[in-house]
Amino acid sequence: MKNKEIYRRILKLLKPKMPLICLSLIFAVINVVATLSIPILTGRGVDCMIDKGNVDFAGLKTILTWFLVVLLINGIANYLMTLLNNRVTFSTVHDLRRDLLKKMHTVPVTTLDAMGHGDLLSRTISDVERLSDGLLLGFSQLFTGVLTIIGTLIFMFVTNGFISLVVVVLTPLSLFAASFISKKTYKHFKKQASLQGKMTGFINESVNAVRLIKAFSAEEAKEEAFNEMNEEFAKVNLKALFYSSTTNPVTRFVNGLVYAGVGIFGALLGIGGRLTIGTLTCFLSYANQYTKPFNEISGVVTEFQNAVACAGRIFEFLDKENTIDIKEGLQEVNAPVLEGNIEIKDLAFSYDKSKKLLYDISFKVDKGSHIAIVGPTGCGKTTFINLLMRFFEPDEGEIFYDGIPSGSIRKKDLRQQIGMVLQETWLKSDTVAKNIAYGHPEATMEEIVEAAKKAHAHSFISRLENGYDTVLSQDGGNLSAGQKQLLCIARLMLNLPPILILDEATSSIDTRTELKITDAFETLMKGRTSFIVAHRLSTIRNADLILVMKDGNIIEQGSHETLLEKKGFYWQLLNS
Amino acid sequence: MKSLLKYLKNYKLECAIAPAFKMLEALFELFVPLVMTGIIDDGIKKMNKTVVYKNGLILVALGLIGLTCSLIAQFFAAKAAIGFSKGVRKDLFAKIMSFSHENVDKQGASSLITRMTNDINSVQNGVNMVLRLLLRSPFIVFGAMIMAFTINVKAAIIFTVIIPALFVIVIYITFSTIPRYKNIQKKLDSLTLHVRENLSGARVIRAFDAADDEEADFAKDNDDFLRMNKVTAGISAVLNPATLILVNLALMVVIWQGGNFVFEGVLTSGLVVALINYMSQILIELVKLTNLFVTINKALASASRISATLEVGETLSDDGKLNALDCKDSSEVLSFDNVSFSYPDASGESLEDVSFKVTKGQTVGIIGGTGSGKTTLSHLLMRFYDATEGEVKLFGNPIKDYSLSSVRKSVSYVPQKAQLFSGTVRENLLLGASGADDDKLWEALRLAEAKEIVENKENKLDYVLTEAGANLSGGQRQRLTIARALAEDNSVLILDDSSSALDYATDARLRANLRSLKDKLTVFIISQRVISIKDADMIIVLDDGKAVGIGTHNALLSNCEVYKEIVASQSKKEESAV
Repeated sequence: MKNKEIYRRILKLLKPKMPLICLSLIFAVINVVATLSIPILTGRGVDCMIDKGNVDFAGLKTILTWFLVVLLINGIANYLMTLLNNRVTFSTVHDLRRDLLKKMHTVPVTTLDAMGHGDLLSRTISDVERLSDGLLLGFSQLFTGVLTIIGTLIFMFVTNGFISLVVVVLTPLSLFAASFISKKTYKHFKKQASLQGKMTGFINESVNAVRLIKAFSAEEAKEEAFNEMNEEFAKVNLKALFYSSTTNPVTRFVNGLVYAGVGIFGALLGIGGRLTIGTLTCFLSYANQYTKPFNEISGVVTEFQNAVACAGRIFEFLDKENTIDIKEGLQEVNAPVLEGNIEIKDLAFSYDKSKKLLYDISFKVDKGSHIAIVGPTGCGKTTFINLLMRFFEPDEGEIFYDGIPSGSIRKKDLRQQIGMVLQETWLKSDTVAKNIAYGHPEATMEEIVEAAKKAHAHSFISRLENGYDTVLSQDGGNLSAGQKQLLCIARLMLNLPPILILDEATSSIDTRTELKITDAFETLMKGRTSFIVAHRLSTIRNADLILVMKDGNIIEQGSHETLLEKKGFYWQLLNS
Repeated sequence: MKSLLKYLKNYKLECAIAPAFKMLEALFELFVPLVMTGIIDDGIKKMNKTVVYKNGLILVALGLIGLTCSLIAQFFAAKAAIGFSKGVRKDLFAKIMSFSHENVDKQGASSLITRMTNDINSVQNGVNMVLRLLLRSPFIVFGAMIMAFTINVKAAIIFTVIIPALFVIVIYITFSTIPRYKNIQKKLDSLTLHVRENLSGARVIRAFDAADDEEADFAKDNDDFLRMNKVTAGISAVLNPATLILVNLALMVVIWQGGNFVFEGVLTSGLVVALINYMSQILIELVKLTNLFVTINKALASASRISATLEVGETLSDDGKLNALDCKDSSEVLSFDNVSFSYPDASGESLEDVSFKVTKGQTVGIIGGTGSGKTTLSHLLMRFYDATEGEVKLFGNPIKDYSLSSVRKSVSYVPQKAQLFSGTVRENLLLGASGADDDKLWEALRLAEAKEIVENKENKLDYVLTEAGANLSGGQRQRLTIARALAEDNSVLILDDSSSALDYATDARLRANLRSLKDKLTVFIISQRVISIKDADMIIVLDDGKAVGIGTHNALLSNCEVYKEIVASQSKKEESAV
């Protein structure tokens, strides 16, 4: 994304906050005018003191009274401006994080997998944090900075045109230096942000797998890999940090030049009697105040470069294409109530177009059928299920639910009618009850307990310290794999859709428990179109249709008996 | 925080040079008002242009020297800060890698990740700013005061009143926000957790159409985060106007007194201008100082979180001197003597009074229901935890007598969850077997029935896996994890329910492959499938943490009720296996 485009996007992001920003601008103007009035009052005060025995005390009193009033206005405006800036920034990043999380639910899951969870985490947390810092600085210092420059120029020209010219002539130096430095720095910041993303990915992965790493005593190897990355990052980091930190001293030096210039020319005018000492004092503090915003602006610019690089990464994700809900060329069928007749025609799918992961999948089943999918690991079973759920979109072919092409049903509506239990369990770090009622927050406690009982999870839940109110730790870390699986089944039991997908749903449950919940499973599947990926013969044998998959293709299909008679791959599998 | 200071030890020189040059810069800055007084009193009033030019040149020279000093200081401050954060990052990562299972559970992965990233960044920023400003700002403030005293003692008294007042305000506001920043950081941790969960649960969330609920949950914490930030920043926002008003009030006093002193002839107007300039220098520095305090605040909050993690006590002692690799030829491989174990903070025991003995080359099956203690048993064998009672012996010696890493190096482990890393297949296989050549890796792949998977990838061993191996199927990942364990070429192998994603045929071939290694490999197979363990030399039947039966398949069929039940439950369902 081009920088210009990123800036445009940031402005767009700020649009709803415009009233607040305008208000902040008004306070900024008041703040600046008050700040600039103080040196004038000070200068006039100095002009009241001419020499020994010659001081205008009455004038001094009036000046100091004004001084006090201006000062109070200054303080109040400054405070209100800061409050408004905080509000604008914090609520903007608040909304941005909300949008990022929302986006995670609307992009294809393949996008999430491809971008990497660690990297996305870094975009949502660190990058947004940096953007927040950048925006805050931008508001608080850019506004006042620019206003101070403009205000000072006006005040100066009104007071004395000649010295003002000195200041104006020296100004481009400061601008030139600042822009030169920030250009140099941006490159390094960009590199730094991408390295940081890479490192965060590595940290994410390693921290999550620390148990495994220990099992292999591979701590040292991981540390070595990390240290290498760390060293590389430190090098880039040093460059970015040093270049960006040269801005202040360099502009401060230019500032010093302006100060000296004003001093010399002001004094020469003073010798000619065309400038009072008080006015010179006033100009000198202007010279200070005038260049200070350049300092700040250039500081802000470097910080902002960093923020912009981060914003770019944030927008990049926000711009990812969403999943298509209704496929092009198809008419939407609004929330159909499905019975579960399914026909699949010439389905094909691949991640990269060079190698087909799944192809030529065709079959037809009536509602209530049980379909078992068997085949060696890696034959495409899971991919097929991802297609059924529309997590993936097929490259070719179509799935028809009750004769309706899946592409014309909203995903939300479709998934409401398909229940799934996967081998890989996922639970929230929330209470057991909330996990069972997942997706159905309106469920009553009775319903939850009922579902748990059906899934044979009630007994172990009751034995947990706080029963249904036990809070699961991250990834359900305080439960065994089997217990997690039982919770996932209970979660499904709460609300049974017409179509079921059970992908190795009982692989982590011991057979004694499984036997106990088999009845439950049978009631669960009764009258529901069910896809079962399993190894157990009993489950497979009773299926109405067995799909035998190999290398991404259905090579045999039929009932247990017909397939056995065929003495093909299925028969081989059974007899291995 | 103090404990983090040692990371600056290697950067002592940088840490001295940076503030020293900053102070030099400040010193030259302090001369500027005096040079200006010269221009006013000796130049303008006495109409002497030479003095004006001379002093003007001095001003430029002071600026040049200041620039040089400052650039030097910036470089060394950046160098020290980055060296510091690099060191902290390195040690923190190593510390996390060294955490026992118990500590990982307690600390939580997402908060550890925040510590590694955001917290370290904020501490680095803090160190950098401290080196640059912490000495410079007070130096200018007090320097300005001293310069004021050299001009006129009476006129300088207001400086001694105003400076302590300013410091009190700055410090009071700063320290009242410290605990708030800590809470904000904690909130950021929960936001991180939300995001992590939403990423890892993408499929389930969609399947249950729960995106709205997730967004609502996230919104709660996100709203809190917003509110806390607003309140805290609101308190900090008082600082600037408060100092502004105080300094300018002092300035009013200087002007009023200045009028009196000029009237009495004690001061010239040029010197009053110098006093005014010193007062404004104080204000400018204070603005920097307050910003610095905000940064330091954040940095301190982060630093205390980092050092808390660095100081977490190890729950497992690692003072064993023996090297398990030296003892692996012992004929006795493993023994449990009346071992009991309960997880920290758990109410009941996960293993209760378990005893058995395993000799070299045996295949041991461990079977039992969900939550019966199978995985716990393997965790004790890997010494992820220590037994609460009783003794675990490995290769004839108490397991605690070995160094931790040597225990784990001598035992290969295939966990329940098939976890892989981003990187090439080769890098993944070499996880515990650094130095193994390709032939060895292919052999491990063959034994794990994973050869075909890798052969079919275009770059073979150099095939790049994405994060967590997401571009492989569950079964493929599982077989690679088995190959990874076999590549270590150890004498003990634990398969922790790790063939659950494999079909029966592959599982059977895998077990046949393992049997061919019988003379050198002791295998522990943890499973729920009778078929996976029934040929084992010894089967341990666990039920609710107790070993209710130990023996061969046939013996257990006649004397172990639980085993009989398990077998019945499975044979009823599957006369043969697919």
